Amino acid sequence: MSTTPQTIRQAVIDSVQAIAPEADFASLDPRRPFREELDLDSFDFLNVLIELHARLGVEIPEADYGKLGTLETMLGYLAARLESA
Amino acid sequence: MRAAIAAAMTRSKREIPHYYLGSEIEVERALQWLEDFNASRPLAERVLFAALALRAVALALREVPDLNGQFVDGRFRRSEAIHVGVVTSLRGGGVVVPAVHDADRLTLPELMASLRDVVARARSGRLRSSDLADSTITLTNLGDLGVETVYGVIYPPQVALVGLGRVVSRAAVRDGAIVATRVVHATLSGDHRVTDGLSGARFLAALRARFDDPEAP
Repeated sequence: MSTTPQTIRQAVIDSVQAIAPEADFASLDPRRPFREELDLDSFDFLNVLIELHARLGVEIPEADYGKLGTLETMLGYLAARLESA
Repeated sequence: MRAAIAAAMTRSKREIPHYYLGSEIEVERALQWLEDFNASRPLAERVLFAALALRAVALALREVPDLNGQFVDGRFRRSEAIHVGVVTSLRGGGVVVPAVHDADRLTLPELMASLRDVVARARSGRLRSSDLADSTITLTNLGDLGVETVYGVIYPPQVALVGLGRVVSRAAVRDGAIVATRVVHATLSGDHRVTDGLSGARFLAALRARFDDPEAP
């Protein structure tokens, strides 16, 4: 299955908005820490990852959380994981 | 909601002679244990540090029961059950404090499930009155907001509040060598009508012991 960057980005937006409906991606700087920008605490973040898993089938190990700091790094990480899947 | 918070906090500051104690507690061992625990588990079964910390608080309270209960009609009523009110911030502002019941009797995965359940219901406006009525102590964990130290206001009729800040990396000296470790600032707000610094100090020491031995039943 080919997953385009647009599909991944939309899956991230949908996953975050399932947990934080007011999250505004239009004004989000993709290079800033996005949990902070979008007020996601550790429960929200775990729930976002569960939503993402449902949408993309990617199970992200806790050891990789450090690679998910900004929207930009998260999209890159997901693209690489889907590429190698 | 703001009016309800204001009423409770005004009453607290008017009636409760607070004292505050704080300790830096090393959580490196607990975090490593938790990272190992989570490494083999799917997302939905992972346990957050917030749950491990809640368990540590509940178990430490067993050792200092004078912090656990309610002050009603001019006297303190100690509670056998440990129902921890967990301060939960809401999207759009405000907080609610639903209880995790019998927090000292649940296994870590059970506690995580219970915490997830009340936080989710709090944020979706589906709390029941039983969730809000009977807490015997409050825990406020502001680590996710980047706060290092919490100076909490006790929720009447309770007589104590435990505050946890964020986990931070520190250099520590162990066996004469400098090593990296992770610590959290824990604070206790106590009610001087019921306890004094001795109880608070015993609680913080018990909490430290719990974080040192995360597997203890």
